[in-house]
Amino acid sequence: MKNPPSLDQLISALKVLPGVGPKSAQRMAFHLLQRDQAGADRLARALDRALANLTHCERCNTFSETPLCNLCAEPARNQHQLCIVEMPADLLMLEQARCYDGLYFVLMGRLSPIDGIGPKDVNLDKLMVRALDGVVEEVIIATNFTAEGEVTAHMIAELLKDRGLAVSRIARGMPVGGELEYVDSGTLAQALYERRQLG
Amino acid sequence: MSQGRVDRQPAYVLHAQPYRETSLLLDVLTREHGRIALVARGARRPRSDLRGVLLPFQPLLLAWFGKSEVRTLHTADWQGGVPQLSGLPLVCGFYLNELLIKLTARDDPHPETFGVYAEAVRGLASGGLLSSVLRRFELGLVRTLGYAPAFDVDSNGREVEPDVPYLCGPEQALQRWQGGPVPAQQQVIEGRILLAMAGGDFSELATRREARRLMRLFLGQLLGAQSLATRELLQSISALGD
Ligand SMILES: [Zn+2]
Repeated sequence: MKNPPSLDQLISALKVLPGVGPKSAQRMAFHLLQRDQAGADRLARALDRALANLTHCERCNTFSETPLCNLCAEPARNQHQLCIVEMPADLLMLEQARCYDGLYFVLMGRLSPIDGIGPKDVNLDKLMVRALDGVVEEVIIATNFTAEGEVTAHMIAELLKDRGLAVSRIARGMPVGGELEYVDSGTLAQALYERRQLG
Repeated sequence: MSQGRVDRQPAYVLHAQPYRETSLLLDVLTREHGRIALVARGARRPRSDLRGVLLPFQPLLLAWFGKSEVRTLHTADWQGGVPQLSGLPLVCGFYLNELLIKLTARDDPHPETFGVYAEAVRGLASGGLLSSVLRRFELGLVRTLGYAPAFDVDSNGREVEPDVPYLCGPEQALQRWQGGPVPAQQQVIEGRILLAMAGGDFSELATRREARRLMRLFLGQLLGAQSLATRELLQSISALGD
């Protein structure tokens, strides 16, 4: 017994999603077609619209429907600070934390030599043009504290050094409100290695 | 052993990638079992304790079970003592990992390789001279893969003499060099430099330079057509060391 071709195509299309294998793809396809046709229709239209309308902001590289995204177009933001993050979700988290009023650059990934993801794949060329526009004075690197995020931070710092910019890296350590008793060994060890002097 | 259970095995995570919704698929180098693939279930959950433990370049004790090609991680214990790598030492660390992933087979135990790797990681973390850490690792790896000749005796079984030049290449014993053109895939090296390399002494610039050329030759043969992404990355910030 074989599936009709359009069903097979849907199942194999769903497999492009990260973490979705053949079984989950089949389950999703049956659900969309059998239980939630209206949802399936919304999904199809939303995908179409997103593909047709979304591009990357020409300044910060995040997803945008206009050449300049809302955030980059806001004149009240501090134009001299540029915070570099891996993904749009990281930008949203920083905005939620209400700790920063400068601008962003979104790499849309991180370097991962072993996965074959190199400097060109994470828009470092575009970042250079943005950071060296003459207005930016400080670059804050907020890539993840994974080995890949750290390599990305190192590369960016190397590329931007001796360019007259202040380059900094967000700090890592104990979680705020964190108790030593409940923190994992790696975090605790690194917090000790990176301890800071008081007074 | 009936369920293929292994307890508290010294290991390093070489590479991790997302697997399913909340898990990680790990490529780990273990001391007794070689390089193996492990699934760490739930390791990507926001509050998973494994997040701060399953880190590359950290000595760990791992326990796992299963007999298929991909085993399941049971526990991971932090061994500590090595700060997280950052900056250029971290890029060098990725280079070590890439070499191991490309040059060693899965499930092929190599306790000596594990020792060579562990020493290199500690070297990178302790602020040692990067080029000497890298050369010692490359030579150790090529040697444990059975690809490097002895550097202290020649093809006639005679001890290498410091002031004599030798012809050196992959998979062949050293030969006294008589002058003339150097064959492709070979290199002429002074005896005293070969003796330093044999003793793991890379303190002299000349030793590091010759060793770097020679290791390129050896690794080039072993890698064949495969390129090294980390080497390209290192070159793009022009810092492979001397
Ligand atoms: Zn923008």
